Amino acid sequence: MTSETLPARRPGLLVGALADKSQVVLIGLLVILCVAISVAAPQFYSVDNTIAILRQCALVLIVAVGMTMLLIAGEVDLSVGASLAFTGCVAMDVTNRTHSVTLGALAALAFAAAVGLFNGLVVTRLRINSLIATIATMMILQGSVYLYTREAVQNKHQLDAFTAIGAGYVGPIPIPVILAAVIFVLGYVALRFTLFGRYLYAVGANQKAARLSGLRAERLKVIAFVITGLCVGVAGLVLCSLMNAGQPTAGRGFELTVIAAVILGGTSLAGGRGTLVGTLLGVLLLKVIDNGIIILRWNQDLQMVVPGIVIVLATWLDIIRRKADAR
Amino acid sequence: MKKMLLGLLAGSAIAVLAVGSAYAEAAPKKIGYVVNYATHEWYQNVIKGMKDRGAQLGITVEVKDANLDAAKQIAAAEDFMSQGVDVLIITPVNEDAVVPLLRRAKQEGMPIVLEGNPVKGMTTLVAICDYDTGYHAGVEAGKYAKEKLGGTAKVMNVGLPLLSATVLRSKGFMDGLKTEIPGATLVHDLDGGGNPDRSFEVSAAALAQNGDINIIYGINDSSSLGGLQAWKAAGKSQDGLLVVGTGGEGLAFINAIEKEPSYRIEAAMFPEKVGFTAVDAAVKLYNKEEVPTWIVSPTTPMVGEDWQKYYSVDGTTRTIKWDAVNAVVAPDKCMQTAADLKK
Amino acid sequence: MRADPLETAKEAAVPALEMRGIGKRFPGVIALDGVDLALAPGKVHALMGENGAGKSTLIKILAGVYGKDTGTIRVGGRETEFRSPRDALRQGIKVVFQEIALISEFTVAENIFLEEYPRIAGGSIDWKRIRAEAAALFQRIGFDVDPAAKTGDLPVSQQQMVEIARALAHEARIVVMDEPTSSLTPKEVELLFVVIRRLTALGIAVVYVSHKLDEVFEIADEVTVLRDGRHISTKPIGAHTHDSLIHDMIGRRIDNLFPRVRRHSPGKAVLTVENLSTDAKLKGVSFEARAGEVLGFFGLMGAGRTELAKAIVGYDPIRSGTIRIDGTPLVPHDTRRAVGLGIGLLTEDRKTEGLMLELPVLQNMSLASLSAFAKAGFVDEGRERSAVQSFVDRFRVKTPGLGQAIKNLSGGNQQKVLLARWLMRGLKVIVVDEPTRGIDVGAKSEIFALIDQLAGEGLAVIMMTSEMPELLGLSDRIAVMAEGRITAVMPRDAATQEIILNAAIA
Repeated sequence: MTSETLPARRPGLLVGALADKSQVVLIGLLVILCVAISVAAPQFYSVDNTIAILRQCALVLIVAVGMTMLLIAGEVDLSVGASLAFTGCVAMDVTNRTHSVTLGALAALAFAAAVGLFNGLVVTRLRINSLIATIATMMILQGSVYLYTREAVQNKHQLDAFTAIGAGYVGPIPIPVILAAVIFVLGYVALRFTLFGRYLYAVGANQKAARLSGLRAERLKVIAFVITGLCVGVAGLVLCSLMNAGQPTAGRGFELTVIAAVILGGTSLAGGRGTLVGTLLGVLLLKVIDNGIIILRWNQDLQMVVPGIVIVLATWLDIIRRKADAR
Repeated sequence: MKKMLLGLLAGSAIAVLAVGSAYAEAAPKKIGYVVNYATHEWYQNVIKGMKDRGAQLGITVEVKDANLDAAKQIAAAEDFMSQGVDVLIITPVNEDAVVPLLRRAKQEGMPIVLEGNPVKGMTTLVAICDYDTGYHAGVEAGKYAKEKLGGTAKVMNVGLPLLSATVLRSKGFMDGLKTEIPGATLVHDLDGGGNPDRSFEVSAAALAQNGDINIIYGINDSSSLGGLQAWKAAGKSQDGLLVVGTGGEGLAFINAIEKEPSYRIEAAMFPEKVGFTAVDAAVKLYNKEEVPTWIVSPTTPMVGEDWQKYYSVDGTTRTIKWDAVNAVVAPDKCMQTAADLKK
Repeated sequence: MRADPLETAKEAAVPALEMRGIGKRFPGVIALDGVDLALAPGKVHALMGENGAGKSTLIKILAGVYGKDTGTIRVGGRETEFRSPRDALRQGIKVVFQEIALISEFTVAENIFLEEYPRIAGGSIDWKRIRAEAAALFQRIGFDVDPAAKTGDLPVSQQQMVEIARALAHEARIVVMDEPTSSLTPKEVELLFVVIRRLTALGIAVVYVSHKLDEVFEIADEVTVLRDGRHISTKPIGAHTHDSLIHDMIGRRIDNLFPRVRRHSPGKAVLTVENLSTDAKLKGVSFEARAGEVLGFFGLMGAGRTELAKAIVGYDPIRSGTIRIDGTPLVPHDTRRAVGLGIGLLTEDRKTEGLMLELPVLQNMSLASLSAFAKAGFVDEGRERSAVQSFVDRFRVKTPGLGQAIKNLSGGNQQKVLLARWLMRGLKVIVVDEPTRGIDVGAKSEIFALIDQLAGEGLAVIMMTSEMPELLGLSDRIAVMAEGRITAVMPRDAATQEIILNAAIA
């Protein structure tokens, strides 16, 4: 029996998943990029810089885990950037009022999850295309955050635990990186080994077939939206801790970075296809480019240009690889 | 005597504005302000200053927001004109787009005061000097470095190359700094996008590339704070670091000066004073008095606890202390303007 | 238009089209290997073979979609090549594909002259002439439709006629029809045959690609059979019997297309439907299905078979009525509850409602029973894999492996996977809607055998079909639908084609 077309499905082989053929292009690009930047600027592979890159990946990766699930289920959420900013304000405000990091964190998670739930219900109940529905949510959030607070919500509580969420370390590793790693592993296990994960793929691949097979397609989608919301909640908490303020203007364009990373990782916009390992590579690639341009002291306007080119390049190389595989 | 005094001061905007209340007997009743982006803290404070000054003079100030839309701005201005306001104040969304409006207003005899940036055919403009603001902050930073940082100055500029105003601030800062420390170097010249998360990201990368700096300059408070957060996130001590912010429009910098040992200098631009000055200019225009085409609104660096001279904070609101701010002297003209950048 | 008798005789001697030794390979596959095809003017030439035999490739070479690797093509005795569909059309060859290639927003007349609009002086399009010429064309093939109608509003059968008319407009000498009857009702098929006869009377050579033996015996003059990319036989239709033709196609004998091995002993009623109505179609439908029987539903297009199928499995909402499975009502009316009670649907539309095309065989087959392989929310992939493998073996699903994307399997094998999806789940009632649509003869008989086997194992099988042989060959009881109602229910033994058709038209 030849089942090499599905190596990622061999049980218990994480290494197998990492070496999945579909990631060859991304791993290749990443390696080439890292080597090239390191040759040009040796500071690139310093411990400091590696940690800086990982920390910047963390924020994007946390939300990208949820977004990958959502895209696999055939939906998308463009409101994550706006929700990120709002969540940060809520987290800081509630912590200021209660002097409890736990309550602040819970409020952030609850708020962002509620945004996810709202998106999910609008998409599944009112049957509005998620692209449109979440653009609407984005606008609602961007406007209403100013009704909530005109100014950045300052840190008045000065609780160390709150600052630690974004800026703290465990050993040499920043806490946001640990949070991202935990969320990534949870997401990986959920997608790869659980009934829920398998159902998400099915719903994204063919919602009608999934429904006919007795799956609650719409409920699964709502759950995916809520998970994305929870991820935004964690990210919002990290961001506002890192900024030491709830910034209503933060997170502009964040949703595009997240979606770009997920798509770069090989997840299909059409649903039913994608992996979190790919998403991780996509996030790394984008952030290495971002970092490399500063390290190389290139014009920072290239920080938009280069990722654009890389997305086209990686997608094209992937098409070529698929064709070669189909031989 | 009074006449002579007035004659002496006619050319000097500050002096005229300081005695602005003298014109109260011929004050306009209603001033319309079309702001370009009311959501921003800066403009909220400008509006606050206008309303304060309006209240003192018994003038109603009405505000319409163009929300960064040039067409909406023209429509709002035309609304005001047909409602019969006495003077218009405009912060242009786009300099070119308001040229026809200025022409029309001139025909109809409607006085217009501009805020922010110059436009061809304008009567008068109220603005701060970005270069000067940076320059004086740079001078203070240089003095501070001589005293506390061992006389060296290695700067990370968290800038915004997109706008000439912010480029002028950074340029002014370095020029001012070099008057005190001629060997000052610009180690990192970054584009922080003017927002805190982007500033944080680029600063973190730059610090990883070369962390040997001792001054962080931000073209606004979000930029300087983003730079400082990156410094802290890299696990560096704030000893031997100086952070200089610009703007001072909200509570963020006050919070930072109080809590962060390195955040010592803030280049205050007093947006409230800009509004105040604009109203006074409007009154003068209404009275058909001569006004300079360029009225400078004062700025000044605030070192350490200096901010308490100009502001008092109660909970989440800050109040400007007019006496202190009105006492700040503004120059007649800017040392450098956007026009100088093109040379 | 009609050529004089002498001309026709001369043409008959020279084939309208002759393909010789045509070969075509795709990466890793030899699609065609030395295939010959000769078409006589005024004759219907059937092209038959199982899926994957090479029919579509041959047609696509004819249509100019693919280039050939080897061999020669002659049109009217002159050697040529088709560089593009437009080029083929210019040389008189028109292919009517299964997927209608008309622009649905355009009018019928506009579509007919799509490639080249007649123009008037100044270069603008002569709309009046387009309409008049379209009307004249329709008259010639005896086809009654308004040339000004919007194409998308027409039923598929009429769109097909528009395609044929388009061939005439381009003065095509060869018309190729790919599975033309797959979505037509019997009445529409008759009309199509009338049109085909008119085409041949005009001296046009028709290539007729179909799986349906009855149709081929009715309309074709000659039959060419392909198998595995090779030419097997070309014979006049008179030289074939059903069995010999099937033998040529699959290379083995199918003694009986409908193998009924099960002993006829239906049990108790497991599905009871009472007074079921929907907003869309159904009006007071009542029936019951018993364990161990195949209940066949027949009806013309639009009779409501698919609607009934989707309503009783909880997929489409109902307005009133009750559905009971083993006495338990299907409340709430959704598919999750339905599957839980043991009723599932094998859809007529595999691509959009059945398959997850990009996903492997494994995921496709285990979809409905995945929860059975899960413990505490985690899927035991070992058990899943072995269960799927056992069904692949038992159903003889031809696939290189469980990881193969299902879109790469043939229609018959896809259908087996979907059938296995339900059997793995363990149902009491299975509803199969047009179970052999788009499936070739060899696989058809396997699917029939599986359905028969299911009933033998005690399932109640409800089969929706528009194929009379299938209905009569497989059902124990037959229900006939017309306009959303059941108009007749009868045991198989009491049924004849005539009785059924009468009930269907009622």
